[in-house]
Amino acid sequence: MTETGLTAEAIALRSAEIRGLEGLASKPMSFGLLAWRRFLRHRLALIGAVGIVLIALGFIVQPWTSSWDFDEIDPIALGGDQGISAQHWFGTDDIGRDLMVRTFHGGRSSLQIALVVAVVSTLIGVTLGAVAGYFGGWIDVLLGQVTNLFLIVPALLVLAVFAKRWDNKNSLAIVIACLLWTGIQRVVRGLVFQIKEQEYVQAARAAGARPGRILVRHVLPNVVGPVMVNLTLTAGTAIALESTLSFLGLGVKPPTPTLGNLVFEAKGRIDSQPIKVLLPAFFIVAITLCINFLGDGLRDAVDPKAAGERAG
Amino acid sequence: MFAYVIRRVLATIPLLFIALYSVHVGVSFTTDPLAEFYQCLPRCQQGYDLISDQYDLDTNIWVRPFAWFGDAATGDLGRSNELGQPVSTILKTRGWNTAQLAIPAFALSTGVALMLAIYSATHKYSAGDYALTSLSFVGIALPTFVVGLLLQTTFAVWWQDWFHNKPFWTQGKHADSFGQFLSSATLPILTLTIVSVAADSRFGRTAMLEVLNADYIRTARAKGLSRRRVVWRHGLRNALIPLVTLWALNFSILLSGSVITESIFSWPGLGPPFIDGLGEADIDLVLGIVIFGSFLVITFNLIADVLYGVLDPRIRYD
Repeated sequence: MTETGLTAEAIALRSAEIRGLEGLASKPMSFGLLAWRRFLRHRLALIGAVGIVLIALGFIVQPWTSSWDFDEIDPIALGGDQGISAQHWFGTDDIGRDLMVRTFHGGRSSLQIALVVAVVSTLIGVTLGAVAGYFGGWIDVLLGQVTNLFLIVPALLVLAVFAKRWDNKNSLAIVIACLLWTGIQRVVRGLVFQIKEQEYVQAARAAGARPGRILVRHVLPNVVGPVMVNLTLTAGTAIALESTLSFLGLGVKPPTPTLGNLVFEAKGRIDSQPIKVLLPAFFIVAITLCINFLGDGLRDAVDPKAAGERAG
Repeated sequence: MFAYVIRRVLATIPLLFIALYSVHVGVSFTTDPLAEFYQCLPRCQQGYDLISDQYDLDTNIWVRPFAWFGDAATGDLGRSNELGQPVSTILKTRGWNTAQLAIPAFALSTGVALMLAIYSATHKYSAGDYALTSLSFVGIALPTFVVGLLLQTTFAVWWQDWFHNKPFWTQGKHADSFGQFLSSATLPILTLTIVSVAADSRFGRTAMLEVLNADYIRTARAKGLSRRRVVWRHGLRNALIPLVTLWALNFSILLSGSVITESIFSWPGLGPPFIDGLGEADIDLVLGIVIFGSFLVITFNLIADVLYGVLDPRIRYD
């Protein structure tokens, strides 16, 4: 008998147990880490993310490196409407402005609008959704009716009415955001409605936490995933809405270019110079595509139902 | 059931009222029906008075909608000054023109999207599924005006004007023969179809996959039903439930006029006068189209809810 009173078998058994315990105790991956891994495995999402970063970088850098300004008229091209040349890679518009600089500058405006719309509408939607889902009652009924109202009143009408008054980039973005918050509001409302019945929220309530603290500390962290997905997809919708509005001549006022404005300006000459419609249209499609890939990948990454690390 | 429908319709009346009221006030604030007259006063005093009288411009902007509501309650939707016709006539003739595009486009897109969705869901992760998914991603990213312009330039300008749909070509849209109708309506119908097929098929795939993973499908397979019967009777019927709402909304939106497609192809439907009316303070016309559109949305939403009960006998209305 040794002092420790352990036989060889017992020691072997003990160490196996400890190994087993260690296996269990090996740090479980956090939700964020799991989501990140799933996202990296999702090839399309990665393509989307890289694509959108490259496009955005191009939009930001190119206007600096160009020798032309977006509203500068090239006196040599004054007759206007030149085709592709070494001087003007995308040609010039009908009054002799360099279309390459205008396209990239316009892309920057479009992305800026999309970003503002996504952030503002998400902020409105999450706040109202959390309040409606947590407190319920008349405010929930009211917000439900507002959502129904938005189904009846055509979005284009609201945009056209307000676009007349506020036709610069940021105010147009705010108007679009005021139209797009209902979707995320319904999502967050539904989620908060479920979460507020969970034990940990009841525990927090029993411990005397105020509603504001419970919402911010315990409820909202659990809706971050769906909110991020929605934020991304809203940016895509915003690009489409802005370009449609501009196509009808109701968007941001000239001389500021946006991708939709450029299509609007070139569409009259589409039969002779289709490239001038196709280039901005290509960027609209490319941005939307990348954003949708990204959103789809995020959706799979944050979906708690997705099994393990298997990417969809 | 009947009581349910009545209750639903009554519940939408205040909503409709608020919608029309805010549209009226919004349009009145941002446009001025008298804009053309300030230059020519006092020569055109008569026209000035006529317009002021028609839109009750001497009353307060917040009270003005009620005069319109009063007329609308008696069935008088007013008159469009831009088109020179009563609004009810415009809704009838132009609404029919729009329907000529909307009905075929809806039938085509729904049918094609459903077939694609079933194929994708039953052949999950196959090469065909990947191809369709990628295509639908591109389709969703394509704005309507890009599709319309591309189709128009390719098939109506470059290729020898097959469809007699040259840009700005506005004559002959009132089809005298079926052939004539086909030649002018094919491209706009195709545009509307392409735009909706992409999103619809993706939504359909998700709905179908969710159903095919359900326990009762496994049961159906286990008890030895044929693959076809499992997919079409047990799978599709349940997958249709979420799709019906989407279709109802799509159809009502199509029927209330597609501004972009109709403008590109100069189609005399409800879309273009709606946008023009907003710019030219044609308030009666704008409100007429809004009320028409909301009736469609409400009606089709209701039909979708009733269809729920048919598709899923567990749903009861009381």
